[in-house]
Amino acid sequence: MSSESSKKRKPKVIRSDGAPSEGKRNRSDTEQEGKYYSEEAEVDLRDPGRDYELYKYTCQELQRLMAEIQDLKSRGGKDVAVEIEDRRIQSCVHFMTLKKLNRLAHIRLKKGRDQTHEAKQKVDAYHLQLQNLLYEVMHLQKEITKCLEFKSKHEEIDLVSLEEFYKEAPPDISKAEVTMGDPHQQTLARLDWELEQRKRLAEKYRECLSNKEKILKEIEVKKEYLSSLQPRLNSIMQASLPVQEYLFMPFDQAHKQYETARHLPPPLYVLFVQATAYGQACDKTLSVAIEGSVDEAKALFKPPEDSQDDESDSDAEEEQTTKRRRPTLGVQLDDKRKEMLKRHPLSVMLDLKCKDDSVLHLTFYYLMNLNIMTVKAKVTTATELITPISAGDLLSPDSVLSCLYPGDHGKKTPNPANQYQFDKVGILTLRDYVLDLGHPYLWVQKLGGLHFPKEQPQHTVIADHSLSASHMETTMKLLKTRVQSRLALHKQFASLEHGIVPVTSDCQYLFPAKVVSRLVKWVTIAHEDYMELHFTKDIVEAGLAEDTNLYYMALVERGTAKLQAAVVLNPGYSSIPPIFQLCLNWKGEKTNSNDDNIRAMESEVNVCYKELCGPRPSHQLLTNQLQRLCVLLDVYLETESHDDSVEGPKEFPQEKMCLRLFRGPSRMKPFKYNHPQGFFSHR
Amino acid sequence: MPSALFCAGLGLRPAGGKIEVFQALQRLHMTIFSQSVSPCGKFLAAGNNYGQIAIFSLSAALSSEAKEESKKPVVTFQAHDGPVYCMVSTDRHLLSAGDGEVKAWLWAEILKKGCKELWRRQPPYRTSLEVPEINALLLVPKENSLILAGGDCQLHTMDLETGTFTRALRGHTDYIHCLALRERSPEVLSGGEDGTVRLWDLRSAQEVQTIEVYKHEECSRPHNGRWIGCLATDSDWMVCGGGPALTLWHLRSSTPTTVFPMRAPQKHVTFYQDLILSAGQGRCVNQWQLSGELKAQVPGSSPGLLSLSLNQQPAAPECKVLTAAGNSCRVDVFTNLGYRAFSLSF
Repeated sequence: MSSESSKKRKPKVIRSDGAPSEGKRNRSDTEQEGKYYSEEAEVDLRDPGRDYELYKYTCQELQRLMAEIQDLKSRGGKDVAVEIEDRRIQSCVHFMTLKKLNRLAHIRLKKGRDQTHEAKQKVDAYHLQLQNLLYEVMHLQKEITKCLEFKSKHEEIDLVSLEEFYKEAPPDISKAEVTMGDPHQQTLARLDWELEQRKRLAEKYRECLSNKEKILKEIEVKKEYLSSLQPRLNSIMQASLPVQEYLFMPFDQAHKQYETARHLPPPLYVLFVQATAYGQACDKTLSVAIEGSVDEAKALFKPPEDSQDDESDSDAEEEQTTKRRRPTLGVQLDDKRKEMLKRHPLSVMLDLKCKDDSVLHLTFYYLMNLNIMTVKAKVTTATELITPISAGDLLSPDSVLSCLYPGDHGKKTPNPANQYQFDKVGILTLRDYVLDLGHPYLWVQKLGGLHFPKEQPQHTVIADHSLSASHMETTMKLLKTRVQSRLALHKQFASLEHGIVPVTSDCQYLFPAKVVSRLVKWVTIAHEDYMELHFTKDIVEAGLAEDTNLYYMALVERGTAKLQAAVVLNPGYSSIPPIFQLCLNWKGEKTNSNDDNIRAMESEVNVCYKELCGPRPSHQLLTNQLQRLCVLLDVYLETESHDDSVEGPKEFPQEKMCLRLFRGPSRMKPFKYNHPQGFFSHR
Repeated sequence: MPSALFCAGLGLRPAGGKIEVFQALQRLHMTIFSQSVSPCGKFLAAGNNYGQIAIFSLSAALSSEAKEESKKPVVTFQAHDGPVYCMVSTDRHLLSAGDGEVKAWLWAEILKKGCKELWRRQPPYRTSLEVPEINALLLVPKENSLILAGGDCQLHTMDLETGTFTRALRGHTDYIHCLALRERSPEVLSGGEDGTVRLWDLRSAQEVQTIEVYKHEECSRPHNGRWIGCLATDSDWMVCGGGPALTLWHLRSSTPTTVFPMRAPQKHVTFYQDLILSAGQGRCVNQWQLSGELKAQVPGSSPGLLSLSLNQQPAAPECKVLTAAGNSCRVDVFTNLGYRAFSLSF
């Protein structure tokens, strides 16, 4: 109990002092620290655990006191009031203690809070310091890498190699003893040396420039001298003209022609040069000339101001021209076509003289926009020819040169690129224009040095001298043979039309003296008619009946027998033989399909033609073949076995001497004629 | 195909067209006179009027992967100067004849390039002005001999062992076209331009029987001539044709039993099973019943046929075909008798 009361008192004292302590504190803080009562300091001295025990105890006392008061009150009585009073006082003391404890708790809380706050602030400061340090580290690292990555300009300079440097550089630059060990110094030294060298080279360059200037000046002077020479030479040339004329030396004329030749387009120029060269070297009968207006040719080379020469110009130009004239669409297209097919104003004339004074005139043109060459041919003879009807096509300009090389018809353009150009202006094929323009034979292109590939259209084509040269000789020879063979045919046709087979004396030995069968008709027929004949099917199927060939029909007669012969004359006559197909009308119709001997007769003239060629160049082949046909018909008719059942003598008594009438499984007749003995035998 | 050849020569060679035209003409006028099948049955030799022999591979042409190439000759060589009129094959040799000479070639070496003939023989001819041709060759297996007949109107027998000519059978008055062997007795039939078919006994070298076909009204056709162009025999029966109509004869009684109604002269006839096959002027191979009815006419590609060949070699059953050749450069191949399968071409 005593301890209890002491405790009760103590807070009382504290409390009584506590209220004025506020005012007192300010004053006594410095002077009377030891005496001054500070509840805050007290807090440090007290144990919070014991305070808690005290609190619990106090609360229990209070509860007990309250319960006693309630008990006393319910009992009621007189002394009750005192006891209650006593009890109330005790309760008050307890309340005091509670209050004290409450204050202490508040102070403790505040203290704890302050401490926490202080610690937190410290931590924050440390954190900030750490971040600063990290940032600094990062920055320093960045600086280091930047330094490491730095590139100096001198690295781009292509320095001389190390050994060279030490060998060539003077020691005061190279300083071998310093630089050997120190790469930095070494680089510096090398750079020094580079600078030195460059300075020297720049010096040299300047020197060379001045040298060049000097030489140029010299050239200028010499040129002036040369140009002053030209008029003097000209005057000498002028003066020599009468002498040339007097001595028949046509230097000047040739010179003039060469002058004109300069204006020829490249293919024609190639042709001109090659033909002239060939004419001078190998063939004196070839003469070459240039025709056409030089001025026009010159005009072509001027820049196209408002001329419409250049087809390849842009659409803008085309538009201009159409606007100016405003013609109908048809006329416009027509103009375009004309433009496309335009020839170069200059052309090259070749005159090829043959032995019998007949001349083949060839005029070569160049179609500028199509980049092909064409040729027109004309044959003139020494004596005027009587033209047989059937010979109409033989010397016509259209066909005289057809198929000079196999398959070269001269109707199609050889330049594959042209087809695209034609499509633009609506030209279907060049065939419709060849009569006017001349024929674009392949060999013409070759003579002009133009080479067109077969497969690839759009190809840059350049005139090539070697190509022209390689074809010049063969072509000229072919041209000559062509003209001669055509003239020979022409002559033969003239007799054939009158039923005479003009066998020449040097071919007479090929035939027996007496030939009874006669040629009665020789006419030209159309290709279509030939195709429709029933006995020519084999030739047509074999592809030997092309429309470039010439077709004729011969009729050979003896008595009642009529032998029709359909003839294919290849333009390549006489190296390619005429081909005969036969149909005999005698005792029924006989052709190669139903009579082996007719077949044998055909093969005699078609396959064994070589023995009929006669003396070279075998232009007489056609005549000999026809005469042979007459002989064959004789043999055929005379050896035909006599039909015993028919009365009367044979229509054709056997006049030919034959060793045997038939031979072999197919019962061939003796068609082969043996010359000196004059008998017939089997092949 | 020749047109392609012709047009291909655009390469500006002046001679190019000439050679191609000549080749085309040569092919156009080619006649294949004779054929013979190799002993192995896989190859066919064909001889033409230019003296060339071409060897075709039947097995290649008949195989399922046959191309255009395999219908061309495996090899072609110049065998004679004149036409190759006839060929036969022994079990090792190919014998070919035409212009008076018979030549032997080894089948084993013939496919190699530059094959040379093994031997050549010429029968003893009496005329010197013109060398007579040989139109027919016939093997007589029993006595290992070869019979040659042709332009000099005689049958020459040649011993194949020694190569000597042993006998000459005379009797024909004009040249001989064809020969046929009677299988049982050693007798040979020959038909010729003189219109007779003669039967010869080989042992006695005597003429046994003569049938003058043109004198029998049933078959004589004077406007075609008398000549007998083809001949075949089977036991007592003989069929022959040519100028006279194709006729089946009974040999022992020498009477015509059946006249076959065919206008065109026939150039080749053969017995095949119970049929008679014949060919001649005209595109068709004719098949006849023995009664004279035309069983079938199978058109070929040539306007006229000269020879038929039946490949019956047991060694190559897959190549069992009928081949026909004549007035063209093509040999028609009939895989069965009904139709032409394709043509081999020179």
